Amino acid sequence: MLKVYNANVYYGKIHAIKDVSFEVNDGEIVALIGANGAGKSTILRTISGLLRSRTGVISMDGKNISNTPAHKIVQMGLAQVPEGRRIFLQMTVMENLEMGAFTKGKADPADIESVFAQFPRLKERRKQIAGTLSGGEQQMLAMGRALMSHPRLMMLDEPSMGLAPILVEQIFEIIGKLHRDGTTILLVEQNADMALKIANRAYILETGRVVLTGTGAELAESPAVKKAYLGG
Amino acid sequence: MGTITKLLESLLSGLSLGSIYALIALGYTMVYGIAKMLNFAHGDIIMAGAFSIIVFTATCGLPPIVAILLGIVFCMLLGVTVEFLAYRPLRKASPLAVLITAIGVSYLLQNVAQLLFGTSDTEFPISVGNSALALGSVSVKYSVLLTVAVTGAIMIILTLFISKSRTGKAMRAVSEDKDAAELMGINVNRTISVTFAIGSALAAVAGLFYGMAYHYVGATTGAMPGIKAFVAAVFGGIGSIPGAMLGGILLGIIEKLAQTYISTELSDAIVFGVLILVLIVKPTGLLGKKISEKV
Ligand SMILES: Nc1ncnc2c1ncn2[C@@H]1O[C@H](COP(=O)(O)OP(=O)(O)O)[C@@H](O)[C@H]1O
Ligand SMILES: [Mg+2]
Repeated sequence: MLKVYNANVYYGKIHAIKDVSFEVNDGEIVALIGANGAGKSTILRTISGLLRSRTGVISMDGKNISNTPAHKIVQMGLAQVPEGRRIFLQMTVMENLEMGAFTKGKADPADIESVFAQFPRLKERRKQIAGTLSGGEQQMLAMGRALMSHPRLMMLDEPSMGLAPILVEQIFEIIGKLHRDGTTILLVEQNADMALKIANRAYILETGRVVLTGTGAELAESPAVKKAYLGG
Repeated sequence: MGTITKLLESLLSGLSLGSIYALIALGYTMVYGIAKMLNFAHGDIIMAGAFSIIVFTATCGLPPIVAILLGIVFCMLLGVTVEFLAYRPLRKASPLAVLITAIGVSYLLQNVAQLLFGTSDTEFPISVGNSALALGSVSVKYSVLLTVAVTGAIMIILTLFISKSRTGKAMRAVSEDKDAAELMGINVNRTISVTFAIGSALAAVAGLFYGMAYHYVGATTGAMPGIKAFVAAVFGGIGSIPGAMLGGILLGIIEKLAQTYISTELSDAIVFGVLILVLIVKPTGLLGKKISEKV
């Protein structure tokens, strides 16, 4: 479904992503694991078209999207829930959801209802300014907003960041449910433990390079991964 | 003239002047809020609007209402073109480079106007005359009523547009977070173009009212109202739409009151003095947003 082939991304002179290749197949949950600064967010931003790779090809459903403007990539069924949620803090919960459906023209009330069914807290707070929500609620809004575009592939950048363990469990449950409902998932996490449990396959990223890949279970058992990411 | 009458009349003419400032300040504040830049060439769009209306009426012989509409369209195209040619290539450049470019565009527009229309002022052909409506002892010029009514209607429409329409919501999303807006499928560049078009249309209307109030237009006509409107936008809280409306109207009223009761010569100094005071007490302006919301 999504193929990244030989990506090299720079911030000025900083070479943030080095010869990265990986793929996400239809129906999978794929995890990208790496420490802070490894280049995980840079990869997602490049896939979404906010940054450009100097080399290689990024393709979605066989179509080259390496030079497609970011606002057109959403229409191809690819949504991103960015790091730090990045919801529109001064807009209401409802308006945030409407922005998620921007490419659809008017937001479909049925879509809004299905987001509310998934996240009942958002329904209670639909008229509230998003900046007043708690961290967990903001994460739910960011996910609900991305769902409004009916993505076939959803990319989540550290959805568990800064959340209490019980909320992390809840967010991962929802990711599992989205996956069962047919959405392909590319999950970026520092929280290797949770991510490897849920992922079909994973890639380990170190200073901009893919250093290891395998199934979630394989990597969870790998001594190198245990040492570096699972606390021994 | 009675004390009350004098006060009311100066308040009304301040309201009318302030409405013109508010129209211009809206353009400054919307462009600042969405493109995060100070478009110092914005004042010159007022001049371009006034001159284009002159050309469409005096030279082309079109009826005033048609000339006004064409003048508005001309300014929208001009604003969008300036953004496309001068500012868009600098989207990732330093704010200082953008600021200097904007000042350059301002001089360019003034010089082109001098080339086309000469250095002496040109008479503005549209006027509602000097007749006034008598309300008891207070007389209100029709031009004042027209300016206030049209500006009020524009403000209501603009507020509804920003808060309710799909494009207006996209503008708010872009002003908060450009990358997140792109991720929603919002074309940020197009949204910025729309913002320049709206701001320039308002400047054209300001140019019309300016021409009607002062009867003559020159190449540097836009400079002073442009600066005053910028002050009004900062005074109200730059980036805030209600702030630009409030700031513009208050500035006009303060200026007229200062002229009536203190001194015509000192009125500008008083206007800028008030700005400095407000910024000392509240650095974000009257209705400015807190800057702390971004972590
Ligand atoms: N806007 C930026 N400008 C310069 N360097 C950046 C920028 N964003 C990220 N980097 C650098 O690129 C590398 C990868 O960052 P990032 O993709 O954010 O990592 P991760 O998401 O894995 O924590 C880091 O070394 C980081 O310092
Ligand atoms: Mg990151």
